[in-house]
Amino acid sequence: MTADLVRSELRKITSTRLWWGLLVGAVVYTVIQAGANAALAGATPGAGQPATPGLDTATAIRSVYAGSAFQGAYIFAMILGITGMTGEYRYQTITPTFLATPRRARVVLAKLGAHLGVGVVYGLVALLGALVVGGVVILVRGHDLGYGADRLWSSALLGVLAVGFWTMLGIGIGTLIRNQVAAVLVAVFVTFLLEPLATFILAANGLDEIVKWLPTNASAALTSPGTTLLQYLPWWVGGLVLLGYAAVLAGLGVLLSTRRDIT
Amino acid sequence: MVQEGHRIDVVGLTKRFGEVLALDDLTFSVRPGVVTGFLGPNGAGKTTTLRCLLGLVSPTAGTATIDGRAYRDIHQPLRTVGAALEAASFHPGRSARDHLRVMALAGGLPASRVGEVLALVGMTEFADRRVGGYSLGMRQRLALAQALLGDPPVLVLDEPANGLDPAGIAWLRQFLRALAGEGRTVVISSHVLSEVQQTVDDVVVIARGRLVRQGSLADLEGGPAAVLVRTPTPARLRDALASYAVTEVDGRLRVEGGTTDEVGHLAHAAGVELHELTAEASDLEKVFLRMTSEVTA
Repeated sequence: MTADLVRSELRKITSTRLWWGLLVGAVVYTVIQAGANAALAGATPGAGQPATPGLDTATAIRSVYAGSAFQGAYIFAMILGITGMTGEYRYQTITPTFLATPRRARVVLAKLGAHLGVGVVYGLVALLGALVVGGVVILVRGHDLGYGADRLWSSALLGVLAVGFWTMLGIGIGTLIRNQVAAVLVAVFVTFLLEPLATFILAANGLDEIVKWLPTNASAALTSPGTTLLQYLPWWVGGLVLLGYAAVLAGLGVLLSTRRDIT
Repeated sequence: MVQEGHRIDVVGLTKRFGEVLALDDLTFSVRPGVVTGFLGPNGAGKTTTLRCLLGLVSPTAGTATIDGRAYRDIHQPLRTVGAALEAASFHPGRSARDHLRVMALAGGLPASRVGEVLALVGMTEFADRRVGGYSLGMRQRLALAQALLGDPPVLVLDEPANGLDPAGIAWLRQFLRALAGEGRTVVISSHVLSEVQQTVDDVVVIARGRLVRQGSLADLEGGPAAVLVRTPTPARLRDALASYAVTEVDGRLRVEGGTTDEVGHLAHAAGVELHELTAEASDLEKVFLRMTSEVTA
């Protein structure tokens, strides 16, 4: 019964075209990042800054493959999660959904499960794109593919998992903010502007202890591309932190919505 | 499949949306085996009542139950209650078949039911098209298919005739009567009495969130009959019809409680010349309007 509910949610995702479009977006964005990371590795940014790690380092290789896959896919995965929840209100399909499953918290749990699965697929396809395009650029630059680099595959797989966690985060956001446009705008504003800004300001003031708990930095703990000077959380703590964000947002959303009138 | 009928009981149902009192101590019940029309003008509280019954809206006070149970407490509710609310509750980018597959999985129903209900409402041909391209009538059929998915003993349909052409309404009428004939409980709401007049056995009429009338359609129709008669000598006819209440309406006499046979006979016996003799049409819609406006007045 519970498995059927998750399958029902999976079919909701695959029976419209949005997941496909977002996946294409994720792959394109990933491929651009992987190509750019591979092309620019070891370059000197200028203004007297030290050169970034070269393609002969495991750090650079992890950044090209694992880092790009996560960076390219997670926003699209989050949007998939947000629309997975808010789309039900936008198209009023929430009515038949709650008619079939009047225990509303179960609907949200099934959505979290189904979207985790699809998010992992996003991560895997993005990783494949990064491995192919990043690899081609690396070969063109005359370096070794580096598929055997230290901790590459563990970072890559954790990065894929992190992409899945971001779809769950999206479900949490959508449960809390039911207006689709508002939810997507708020989420993109927070992850693209507010969080990097907060990271920059807090880090500049020596508050790394706080910075590493922010969602994007917690994700970086999983992929650990090692391209910043920040000290990240251990990878498993980073994963738990991401799950925690998703759980708190979704839990709050469920609390607020179990008795809410569907009119 | 239908073992025994399920009753619907609404007791003291009250719902307040902010300042607006949508339902005001509403009490009625619906019996199985007949089609019940849930009637009232727009804004009377019909949809709110149905949504309270289906666990989508939490009442401020009172209860709405199916066989004594709240919808939220029913295990696999699609097997007990089939509901079609607004015809717009579909994702425009999803096909009818996929919509029903999603529902069947969530409701714990066998996938084979999807094809069955699509055939039942005559939609097999369009089932793989996206709902966005459907006419209102096709959406209504899909909503009905969704309601029938769990082969439920109780059907709750909100304005099911909306958007159907006359042939579609005739089809729906026969279909619902057959379902009620199997012992199911069938509730259809409407704001147009004439739309459901030939379909329903019982009626529940509400206005402004309050019950106006509950009973059989025959009770509702049973107003005092009257005869309209035109004569060049109204004074003489009035004398002949002294035992009836007679009023003048638009140059004709309206004889309350009489039949055309009686009035014709009395006029003939008194030697009164008649130019017109007709039974007054029992205009149900008028009765309906009067009943619903009584509450608003």
